[in-house]
Amino acid sequence: MDLLAHLIDPWFLGLIFGGTLMGIVFGAIPGMTATMAVAVCLPLTFSLGLVNGLALLLSLYVGGITGGLVPAILLGIPGTPSSITTTFDGFPMAKRGEGERALKIAIIASVVGGLVSLVALYFFAPVLAQFAIKFSYVEKFLIIFFALTVMAALSKDMLLGIFSGVLGIFLSLIGTYDITNGGNGHTRLIPPGMEYWLDGGFALLPVLIGIFGVTVILEEAELGMPRGQSLKDIEVGPHSRFSFSVFRGQWVNLLRSGGIGTFVGILPGVGGSAASILSYTAAKTTSRHPERYGKGEPAGVIASEAGNNGLTGGALVPLLSLGIPGDSTTALLIGAFALQGIQVGPLFISQNIDTWNAMIAAMLISNLVMLVVMFFAIRWFAMVIAVPKQILYPFILMMCVIGAYTINYGIIFDVWTLLIFGVFGWIMAKLRLEVAPFIIGFILGPAAEIYFVKSLESFGDLAIFFTKSWIAVVLWVLIVASVAGSIAISRRNARMGEPSA
Amino acid sequence: MDNLTRVTIDFDTSHLIFPTIIAIVLGLLGLAILVRDRAAILGSGRMWATTFRAMDKTRFFGALALTIVYFLLMVPVGNIWPNAGYGFLICSVPYVVALGLLFMHARTPAAIGAMLAVAVIAPPLIWWLFSEIFFLTLP
Amino acid sequence: MSVTRRLLLSAVGAALVTMPVVAEAQNLPRNVRMVIGSSSTGGDTYQNASILADALSEHLGVNVRVDPVGASEAFKALARDSRGTTIMMHHDQSYLQELYGVEGSPDIFEEFTVGPTISVNPGNAYLVPADSPYQTMEDVLAAAEAGERVRVAIQPGGVSEIGFTAMRNAARMQAPGSEENIVPVNTGDQADKNQAMWDDLADVINGSIQANEQFTQLPEDDPTAMRFIWITATPETLNQAPEEGLGETDRAEMLTYAAPEVSVPMTAEENFTFDKEFFLMFNSETDPALIEAIDTAMDEIYAEGDIQQRFLDAFFTPEYRPMAEAQEHLQSKNDDYETIISELKSE
Repeated sequence: MDLLAHLIDPWFLGLIFGGTLMGIVFGAIPGMTATMAVAVCLPLTFSLGLVNGLALLLSLYVGGITGGLVPAILLGIPGTPSSITTTFDGFPMAKRGEGERALKIAIIASVVGGLVSLVALYFFAPVLAQFAIKFSYVEKFLIIFFALTVMAALSKDMLLGIFSGVLGIFLSLIGTYDITNGGNGHTRLIPPGMEYWLDGGFALLPVLIGIFGVTVILEEAELGMPRGQSLKDIEVGPHSRFSFSVFRGQWVNLLRSGGIGTFVGILPGVGGSAASILSYTAAKTTSRHPERYGKGEPAGVIASEAGNNGLTGGALVPLLSLGIPGDSTTALLIGAFALQGIQVGPLFISQNIDTWNAMIAAMLISNLVMLVVMFFAIRWFAMVIAVPKQILYPFILMMCVIGAYTINYGIIFDVWTLLIFGVFGWIMAKLRLEVAPFIIGFILGPAAEIYFVKSLESFGDLAIFFTKSWIAVVLWVLIVASVAGSIAISRRNARMGEPSA
Repeated sequence: MDNLTRVTIDFDTSHLIFPTIIAIVLGLLGLAILVRDRAAILGSGRMWATTFRAMDKTRFFGALALTIVYFLLMVPVGNIWPNAGYGFLICSVPYVVALGLLFMHARTPAAIGAMLAVAVIAPPLIWWLFSEIFFLTLP
Repeated sequence: MSVTRRLLLSAVGAALVTMPVVAEAQNLPRNVRMVIGSSSTGGDTYQNASILADALSEHLGVNVRVDPVGASEAFKALARDSRGTTIMMHHDQSYLQELYGVEGSPDIFEEFTVGPTISVNPGNAYLVPADSPYQTMEDVLAAAEAGERVRVAIQPGGVSEIGFTAMRNAARMQAPGSEENIVPVNTGDQADKNQAMWDDLADVINGSIQANEQFTQLPEDDPTAMRFIWITATPETLNQAPEEGLGETDRAEMLTYAAPEVSVPMTAEENFTFDKEFFLMFNSETDPALIEAIDTAMDEIYAEGDIQQRFLDAFFTPEYRPMAEAQEHLQSKNDDYETIISELKSE
């Protein structure tokens, strides 16, 4: 069946619409992720046939990655790990009554990011894949290291912030040095008596929703549940009206973030969350007003959302040209192909040109559907703010439990992790430790370890980090620039008489 | 020069390399904080005292206690009917009700009614969706 | 075949309403949780598990959910539940990791009841770069004998390592001491192993027919091109695979990379072979009647013959062995591999 036949097939279009919508809902519920949405629908694809099944899964993916921006902006709780950086500026905007404007900015940035990566995927997939395989352990470590430097830029107090970040890395190393990632299968750092529960370490998603979701609720409980915002507070006034002029001067940011997201997606093993973290770092360090970031700067929302949607096309590049998934969601797509008896590898595109075209078309349509659906739904999303807290918070906690329990298919310790890190996040705030660098350290820690140790194991020389390739040199330049940028920002803040603002 | 940077990694102990480095960095940073913020650290007892004095203890510890009980009960209750997800279903309803009542300020009939409606409708709906439609295992 | 789990579920639901006696008669729990030793829903373990789970659901009229919790959590869940409401599916990794001394691995023959085998993934293979000087496994062993270091990328502690161990064992038999020249490059998943080859960190990599076949079809000047050098499956298993093979590699060609065409001796008389077999495990205190009910159900399912095609479509070969036979078979496999692993270790 050729492409045109698909495009007028109501099933094909209906599945994309339904998939995008369901993806958005999954992404928007704290604790539910795009990966989960794809996983629960995977068995359905068996009866749908290859093209229709893929249309459903891909649109779930696009919708799920985008949906995470809704709670990130309105509640300060990232709906998915890749929308953490959206909370940094989106939530402050919502708090000062610009929730609707922030949502619109984020949606448009998402679509642009998605389209940038789709163009990259469609026209350059094989070339990009050839480039991606030039990234050995060394270059991957440097990419992660570069992403980690954002900890400095995100810290309010440099010393406490970096301490929090390193603490995050430390806690992420608890448990087994995972064999499937290249480790030796030995456990370490487990507190005595906890071996039974902690041999797998703390899972990322429960930690994330614990430290964002549960902590927020505990803090509110501590304050005696003060009255929240009402719909009136976020009513569109002249101060918060959205207009496209916000994007003036942001085209570089949009394209760069979409590009970074795509590129991170292309590198297997670097992990999806790094996409938005890196594009946020890039936007902040190159901005003329870096001090505005973290306080409700629209450019921060743009960078984060264009970055994480850029991932969607990027992660498909290694999948479809090397048979290697670019992130955890695309890993599930391998299952969908295998169930249909289709091989993915370097010959996939040339051997399945119709499927390939249909996939691209599905993602393109899904991005457009997402734009329309989200714009229509903004009013309803915004109403979340007006839901009384005594109803909203128990509901969120219940959803967090579902999310934590189902993310690894039924491990009760993941639910306890939620509470442990909820309390931990509350204590951290009291000690003026910083959540943003902490969580970035926690996310990137395991990958940093593997690539660092494997680099030394394979090459046996510390100098390799500088001498491996021109790519390594470029990455060092970026790392130095990012660190220098952060120092300059903190100096400037100090001079302006508002240290640790 | 070459020899200075050479390292040999023993695979069997390679799980300790990175944690050791990170622990050292963490220790150094901790030390720096200790030196710089010693006044604040010494005064942290007062900070905690203030925190607990100003805190809405009923709501804070009530929420914690309810959540712990909720988590503790979910698995044994669910075990009565293996793999059906009833533990989540049965425990969630009273949890949402209790937490809702705890967080509520003006316990008017209308507010309680709305909250009860959510508590009775939401958990079964979620349970049905995840356990029966998405076919996931719940406690 | 085109029955989704969801449709199945509603069908099962309807069936339960109309004839609740069926499930009751066999004393089977209505909801069975099948935990598997992999935490991926995209991998071969999940695929095999879901094919079996669908068939069991349909045949027994109970719900069987597959939960990919990973080996460590799966063993824990199985150990906790003696009522038979949790069963586990995994492959040879489950005893190999114990033989290789991976931390926290149970002895499955001691601690659990090993159940019927289900199917085989015939794909386990070793590959070299397309421009490699090694044409055959004999070249590899000869190179080791001549004092050349041969680096083999594997994921240590299991299925991926067993073929590597066999290579070293063969080298030792051919020229004692030469096994020291066959060295492991410890990597993680398939992406890492491929990357190790492309980074020139490995001369030979462990891979699979499914994941690597397309790379063997690339023109030789492509920097990512590879060649099969050894497929570890038994010829009996490969002969059951579809004749057209997978991709551009048909069964006849696959057989040229496998024993007896490619000989990696295990003993003086016998070639080393390895079939990656999927099988069930039960809590050792589970009611034997319940285990038997599942075994019988599988016997009937395989007798009907539909499930075979589902396995073959996904490039697996169906291989049902009833409980007793399977236990004996896996135990003897375990013993064979234990011998070569421990002999190599003792030096």
